[in-house]
Amino acid sequence: MTDYQQIIPVLYTELAAITKATVAIDENTELTGDLKLDSLQMMELLLIIEDHFDISVPVNVLSDVKTIKDFALQIENLIRCE
Amino acid sequence: MNQILENEPTLLATPTKNTLPLRLADFSTLAEALDYAAQGETGANFYSGKGELTEVVPYRLLRVQAISLGKRLLSLSLKRGARIAIVAETNAYFLRFFFACQYAGMIPVALPAVINIGGHQAYVEKLRGLLKGCDASVAIASNQFYSFLTEAAEGLGLAFVGTPDAFDALPEQNSELQPSAPNETAYLQFTSGSTGFPRGVVITEQTVMANLAATVAHGISMNENDRCVSWLPFYHDMGLVGCMLALIASQRSIDYLDTREFAMRPRRWLEILTKTKASIAFCPPFGYDLCRRRIRPDDVANYDLSAWRIAGVGAEPIRYEVLDEFAKLLAPAGFDSKAFVPCYGMAETSLALSFSPLGHGVVVDWIDTDALSGELLAKPVEAYQGNSFVRCGTILPEHEVKITDDDDNELAERHIGQIKVRGPSVMSGYFRLTEQTQQVLSADGWLDTGDLGYLVDGNIVVTGRCKDMLIINGRNIWPQDIEHIVERQPELKALGASAFSVTDADNREIAIVVVQCNLSDSEERSLLEQRLHREIFEALGITCVIEFVPRQTIPRTSSGKLSRSATREGYLRRRDNENRIDTAQTSVDGNVTLMSSIN
Repeated sequence: MTDYQQIIPVLYTELAAITKATVAIDENTELTGDLKLDSLQMMELLLIIEDHFDISVPVNVLSDVKTIKDFALQIENLIRCE
Repeated sequence: MNQILENEPTLLATPTKNTLPLRLADFSTLAEALDYAAQGETGANFYSGKGELTEVVPYRLLRVQAISLGKRLLSLSLKRGARIAIVAETNAYFLRFFFACQYAGMIPVALPAVINIGGHQAYVEKLRGLLKGCDASVAIASNQFYSFLTEAAEGLGLAFVGTPDAFDALPEQNSELQPSAPNETAYLQFTSGSTGFPRGVVITEQTVMANLAATVAHGISMNENDRCVSWLPFYHDMGLVGCMLALIASQRSIDYLDTREFAMRPRRWLEILTKTKASIAFCPPFGYDLCRRRIRPDDVANYDLSAWRIAGVGAEPIRYEVLDEFAKLLAPAGFDSKAFVPCYGMAETSLALSFSPLGHGVVVDWIDTDALSGELLAKPVEAYQGNSFVRCGTILPEHEVKITDDDDNELAERHIGQIKVRGPSVMSGYFRLTEQTQQVLSADGWLDTGDLGYLVDGNIVVTGRCKDMLIINGRNIWPQDIEHIVERQPELKALGASAFSVTDADNREIAIVVVQCNLSDSEERSLLEQRLHREIFEALGITCVIEFVPRQTIPRTSSGKLSRSATREGYLRRRDNENRIDTAQTSVDGNVTLMSSIN
């Protein structure tokens, strides 16, 4: 069972790769506000997350995600439901 | 007990070859077109993000289901021509509802099924604006989108809001269905209007049928072996008209992949094209670009694209370099660059206006840069010497095109001006927006496309836009929407902002907003910038370069409004200066931020 504490480091690593480590990241970093991810980078991130955790991320569960913490909690929830 | 026997039978996609004689959209209504297609074997097939076939809907079944659903819609006692709003995910229920409306004399309206990350509120507001904009009586969404739809519809007094299952539970009315007649509205298509002021394009049955007939007979010469693969959403004209209606009206099978799945894994598109030996696929240049960047050269050997005879390109400015690279990458898989068919069109003309000649690939016009900007003349130069534009073919039969100056005087070939078109594919107008309709549609039927361009040997060449719209990664964005988000921030009230696009070092269109701002505290300013990035993304799904400038920097027009074009010129001047000072400040993706100019 993958839990929140295991998801966070994966997100940090992948986001650092996508943003070329130009922004310092913590749990409260906003994906669009701070990291300025565009829609294609967001797709890249989703792809990595889906493949890494073998889940499918439905479009509606991300509608209230602002921070890395919000995102990790949703991923945790999806893994639990699979 | 043998487990294998209990397994469900494997789904089989509908065949490419039909048992029916091919008819090229020579019907008077969409319902008639489906009546005919339903006598054959072809249909629509839906694939999951994993590339598995998940649903097969032969047109025969679609017709039966649409008629049944049409009778259930009648039980709601709606007026004829009532608007039925459908959150348009790429699945079979959209087709059922769309055609149920055709049989029951209702008007379907596709609503976007895309929520940006964190964009809950922005999406609900957008849906609400669209429901109001078409004065919807009924709205439908799957379980995935239903809660957003009910939030959006609250207090609007719709007769019924439900999931597809809720509609299936309605009783069938026992009266005869009266399909929409040729002079009645076939559908409303929301287009390129800003979120604040959505515009629904009204297309009648005879209008869309005229466009479909010209498209399949003349534009793409549809034949018995054709089959289409599409990842374009149904709430876009190219997805709805080009990759759904055109195929049904010529009894061809279609294979669908969800848009978001394509954006995540573009290789699925090529895999399905390989698997089904499809001959037709359309997409904006952005889609080819995504493939070019994300397909691994090692994977190319897995594809067989030799059956792909029409690789349509349209919906945004076409850069030949992107198509060139796509073709080179996929040539070993049998992709022929001559399959590219640049085309031109818009929702206001149902869809297509012109297709470049089949089998010729991309024809590039090389134009002298000085004559282009100075004399507005497309003066030919040697290849690779000036600006490049792609020829989009001659206008469809029975349609007319002209290029005019600002005073509506017609210009000669190779003179750049406003592109205007006339003919049977042109919309009736924008739904209940008389003034906006009159702004683009003249009394004698000429539509002002809002695009700039010229004609050469009758070929339409688009060079730019006179409307302020931005096109970022295939999305149409109105500057008003960006400016509205900026101007609603408490720190910036009434200070004004101006949004526009420029091209980056790779010739890609990027969004810029110049923001007049009084904040001198850098921390406050960076918090504001963060919030702006977030809210712009949530509402519009794009990133935007934000430049803060002191108040009264943005130039005004003679009527006192902030001038986007003058702001853009100022921005480019500052960018050039900054590049000269320090070229190293340009980031990897070519974006340049000019935070320094406030100090």
